[in-house]
Amino acid sequence: MKTREITVTVNGRKRTVTVEVRRTLADFLREDLGLTATHLGCEHGVCGACTVVVDGHTERSCTQLAVQADGREITTVEGLAGPDGELHPVQQALRDNHSFQCGFCTPGFVMSIYGMCEEKKAGRSVPCSRAAIREELSGNICRCTGYQSIVDGAEAALAGAGSDTGKDA
Amino acid sequence: MAGGSAISGLVGARVHRKEDRTILTGTGRYIDDVQERGMLHCHFLRSTVAHGRITSIDVSAAREVEGVVRVFTGADMSAITEDLSFAQPIPGLNSPSYPAIARDVVRFVGEPVALVVAESRYIAEDAAALIEIEYDLLEPVMSTAAGLAEGATQLFDDVPGNVVHTDEQLFGDIEAAFAQADHVVTQSLDQHRWACNPMETRGGVATYETGSGQLTYEASTQTTHTLRFLLAGWIRHPIHQFRVTANNIGGGFGLKFSAYREDVAVCAAAKAIGGTVKWVEDRNEHLVAAGAAREEQLTLEAAVKADGTLLGLRVTMKLDAGAYPINPPATVYAGLVRTTLPGPYKLPAYQFRHHIVATNKASYISLRGPWAVETLVRERLMDKIAHTCGISPVEVRNRNLITLDDQPTKMITNVTLENVTAAETFQKLVEMVDLDAVRREQEAARAEGRLLGFGVGTFIEPAPGTQEFWAAVGFPFGSEPCRIRIEIDGKVTAFTPQTPHGQSHETTLSQLIADELGVGFDDIRIVYGDTDATPFSMLGTGGSRAATMASGAVVYGSRELRKRLLEIASHILEASVDDLDIADGVVSVKGAPGASVPIAQIAMGCWLAPEQMPPGTNTEMEFVANYDGEGGGFSQASHACWIEVDQQTGKIEIKRFLVVEDCGKMINPAVVEGQVIGGIAMGVGGMLLEHSAYADDGQYLAATFMDYLMPSAPELPEIEIEHLEFESDKVVGSRGVGEGGTVLAPAALLNAIDDALAQVGRERVTETPVTPTRMLELLGVIEKE
Repeated sequence: MKTREITVTVNGRKRTVTVEVRRTLADFLREDLGLTATHLGCEHGVCGACTVVVDGHTERSCTQLAVQADGREITTVEGLAGPDGELHPVQQALRDNHSFQCGFCTPGFVMSIYGMCEEKKAGRSVPCSRAAIREELSGNICRCTGYQSIVDGAEAALAGAGSDTGKDA
Repeated sequence: MAGGSAISGLVGARVHRKEDRTILTGTGRYIDDVQERGMLHCHFLRSTVAHGRITSIDVSAAREVEGVVRVFTGADMSAITEDLSFAQPIPGLNSPSYPAIARDVVRFVGEPVALVVAESRYIAEDAAALIEIEYDLLEPVMSTAAGLAEGATQLFDDVPGNVVHTDEQLFGDIEAAFAQADHVVTQSLDQHRWACNPMETRGGVATYETGSGQLTYEASTQTTHTLRFLLAGWIRHPIHQFRVTANNIGGGFGLKFSAYREDVAVCAAAKAIGGTVKWVEDRNEHLVAAGAAREEQLTLEAAVKADGTLLGLRVTMKLDAGAYPINPPATVYAGLVRTTLPGPYKLPAYQFRHHIVATNKASYISLRGPWAVETLVRERLMDKIAHTCGISPVEVRNRNLITLDDQPTKMITNVTLENVTAAETFQKLVEMVDLDAVRREQEAARAEGRLLGFGVGTFIEPAPGTQEFWAAVGFPFGSEPCRIRIEIDGKVTAFTPQTPHGQSHETTLSQLIADELGVGFDDIRIVYGDTDATPFSMLGTGGSRAATMASGAVVYGSRELRKRLLEIASHILEASVDDLDIADGVVSVKGAPGASVPIAQIAMGCWLAPEQMPPGTNTEMEFVANYDGEGGGFSQASHACWIEVDQQTGKIEIKRFLVVEDCGKMINPAVVEGQVIGGIAMGVGGMLLEHSAYADDGQYLAATFMDYLMPSAPELPEIEIEHLEFESDKVVGSRGVGEGGTVLAPAALLNAIDDALAQVGRERVTETPVTPTRMLELLGVIEKE
């Protein structure tokens, strides 16, 4: 079993851990760090349930290895809510819009929408029409909702995130 | 209590879901989140051939791998388990039993042939790759036609001719109907296999405590109690020492209603090893082996009058059951299709024949409205009748629909219809659509070289159905229990046999209890998914029962406890029960809010010092209610679908989708809309994208999400919903909506596709899915393969 020591910052906490080199980032987060909010829906990079933010970009954690995350900063759903359990504005917007049902795909959508909101807050162009939100979320699969309520939630989250400079036509 | 539903406050409001804080923060406990001390992981090696006799299996190299704890072959597993049997005393049902792990013969690609238990999933998969297994290949049976053919290979000795079940039922005078017919309209449909594909796959964690002999199976299941009693027998474990639990469940859609051979093997392995074993299938295994649905071929022959009035209907159905039976027996599916097919239409005569055929595929399973093909073929037939008789799709339905004025009446299948408003939903739909404008728009589009289609459909949904309905189907209707407890501090805990997995029961049942008992929504907890705690029900969550049945159980249970509280309070407050009210957890005298006693005070007295409570009162603060459904009932809806077909690429775009639905009194409109829209999405995906396809040699062709195409956000339209809320005189006037979207949307969509094809002089759809390639074939742009 070949292992390697890596240092990652997960949800603001720096950790140095020895991992098997073939371990996926998703398994590392879920099993080694006990951060089970990040879900595995397909393990081949299609469904998006395992989406996390790595160095400011939304990425799949099932199709990369933990060792690739060495030296990087990762945010998972566990890192969003406030210390007193207060929901992050993205989570609150999704709750207000009854966005989800069974909740399995939810962490992936939350991270994708969080990623879009962070982009917008950083002043980058983020498309905000419903059709554009649907395109942006096409990398996340939900079997329960038919997406309409998720688009409602994403629209509300984006409206509340920073300036309007990124609004498309 | 007729008409006495306490509709105030929370019921009917878009109350925020209780479930959301957990799922949005990722703090739920889905099956793969379970991590027990010393937990082992397992992996099933699965057959690579569709049909073959196992001639040798060598697991010695796998057993040598460091970290491997145990390897079970079919023989090893059979030594500690009974074969699974779903046989029931149903005349003519051939239901073969089968081992948890294949012993002699494999009958589909993906059938378990060995189980490796190891310290990690990685090691288990490594070791499984070292198992050597040889097969003598047998001819695979890959369609119902092949299975029924003269001289076909037999899958099972005890399924003669591969016929799992066949039957013919006659209702009314079918010969007379056809003798009077002005037209005989025929139609056939070959529906493909598609699958539930919940985002969480199947899985379970079994823990055997060697000291006490207790076994606990935490599972991703829709029905804890049924799983418990089925598994207990197969793993030879005393049921009183067996507990099945479920926490968060990542979707089910019917799939997780059955017990599976993997559940048997995992529980038996934990018991044999004496510890905890976790099994979570990956998506590849799920797609290959978990089973799929909807593979049915139907032909219909309708006798109609010149004005489009239905006189009689002859239907034959062949159902591709796959290899191994699961729960419920396949006769239930056939019974559901047969019983429901006449729908909300007047039909004087009816003949239904079916063949359920065993093939070398994964099991045929329940999928969200497993009877759905009845609505699909009936609604398309109505359009074809309209076309034959030269009337509009609206007119043909108006001439045949059963309206409220016609009720109560009996369906030809002996099911009483009462308070059914399918015709009224259709009327409302028609009012909302300008059909002439639709036709003008289509004409204008054609002039520009564009092709638009428009389709409608209507139906009834047995949600929950009636006693008569389920008797006709051959499945128990069953009452629904709920145990409700007023805790020592006045807060409320309700124990339901439901195992919700997205249907928001924690929210809706709390809304009902809050209104009935006058306690705060946040002061109520709904307990589910624990056979040690919840009352027994065979059914768990499925069949859109909860809106009526689970609601009824909590309403009746709350009312009994309310009665007890008020009686005690009337002594304490020296007031008549009729003069008392409960709000915010306090019982007070109407008009004299100063005279009050908190529920908490009454409850504390009842729990701690019942002998000091007013004499003659009932101080039991816990009650198990059983709700019989008050005769049950139906939901109903009508859909309209607008599409545009790209004649270059064959792509079908849904431009608009309109729903008029009536599920009676809505407990939470946001939950209703979520079910309706999600159901439609599944129906659209099933018709246009998804296909659990097999090659002729039995290899499975859709083993990843790159091959099995799930609908994503851009493929789906914004869905418009209009609610009718029929007010019945029942205490519980709410009906389910879990399946309806998936049942009806395919009909409206295919009618829209047929409408587009008709405009360019092409034939109707006879095979699904309608992928872009199939659409180009139908348009004559490319040759059919």
